[in-house]
Amino acid sequence: MSKLQKNWFEWVVFGVSLLLMAATLGYLVYDGATLSDAPPKIEIHLGVPIQRGTQFVLPVTLSNREGQTAEGVKVEVTVRGATEERGEFMIAFLPRGATREGYVAFQQDPRAGEVSARVVGYEKP
Amino acid sequence: MRPVRQSLMEYGRGVAGGLIFSLPLLYTMEVWWAGFGAHPWRLIIYVAATFVLLLGYNRYAGVRRDASMTEVAIDSVEELGLGLVLGALALWLLGRVTGEMSASEIVGRIVIEAMVVAIGVSVGTSQLGGDADEGMGEPTRAEAGATDRREHEEIHFSGQLVIALCGAVLFAANVAPTEEVVLIAAEISPWRTLGLALFSLTLGALVLYFSEFRGAERFVPGGSNAVSIFVGTVITYAAGLLVSALVLWFFGRFDGQAIAMCLTQTVVLGVPATLGASAGRLLLQ
Repeated sequence: MSKLQKNWFEWVVFGVSLLLMAATLGYLVYDGATLSDAPPKIEIHLGVPIQRGTQFVLPVTLSNREGQTAEGVKVEVTVRGATEERGEFMIAFLPRGATREGYVAFQQDPRAGEVSARVVGYEKP
Repeated sequence: MRPVRQSLMEYGRGVAGGLIFSLPLLYTMEVWWAGFGAHPWRLIIYVAATFVLLLGYNRYAGVRRDASMTEVAIDSVEELGLGLVLGALALWLLGRVTGEMSASEIVGRIVIEAMVVAIGVSVGTSQLGGDADEGMGEPTRAEAGATDRREHEEIHFSGQLVIALCGAVLFAANVAPTEEVVLIAAEISPWRTLGLALFSLTLGALVLYFSEFRGAERFVPGGSNAVSIFVGTVITYAAGLLVSALVLWFFGRFDGQAIAMCLTQTVVLGVPATLGASAGRLLLQ
């Protein structure tokens, strides 16, 4: 068996690599152990509407707190003011623990009416 | 002890090789998505499989053929580390990994990209070097062969198989995650599938035995004997199919599919995989 020919620099690279590898595997094990098969638990947070031209855009934040990844998440937001208006948008992927933002546009100021939001549905990945 | 300058050059080659072989994957949407769709256990298996492949490649075709098993293991860890760093850097620069993402998403994306980068690093380190530094204290291929011909013969089969698997992974991994494989498999007729299988076999035989491909004479045992041609081609195709199936399984292409559909996908991806197991194998030596 030949003697190792490594210099200090290679040992440093090896040390850092070993640390990275251990950290990655450690995290994956932790992640795998804590992962549940339950459906995603999605929270909706509505922001403050912003006027853009004649329209009002309402920022909507979705967070997937626990459970699996949700794919093709459809969100519907309804404003009941002078008239009833409905807006919706899709988010392609909402992984576990992730937060995504979108906007819904309305003709009337959502602040003048009652706003309700819900997740209509999503696919299992 | 090697001078630091030489180590730096080796890492430099590794970085270049890692990026050359993984570039298509870094720029493929389906690969980013696979990063958070994949179950953590699956990612661990993926890391472990890559590590085994790296060990094999470094042992039989790596930059230091005379290396002890300890050194081979150390090199493999370094390559994985470089792969993780390079993968993370590239994904961050491309805006595919940002601070707003959750930890599991970031880790998933980086791990998926990093493993192919790591194989590229290994191949790059050993393949992209010039002749100049090969002479620095390490026996060249010819010398090693002359001093220990018997060991060379012994490692022949398993060594060639490992390198064939590496080549197949490098070629198949670039195609496997795309939707196109599923689409082709869904629409193709059984006769065409059979045609693809025969096409793969012919390609393998052509590259290994009938086109005087670079390195074919040295690394393909048996020569022009009909039986050995048949055996060699079948083994190469089997390696291609095995890698094809494993890579497809990893990217979740088998989840909830009927057996027939899985098989068709495997044969469809078997073409690039077999090309990797034959041509790739000879180029990676």
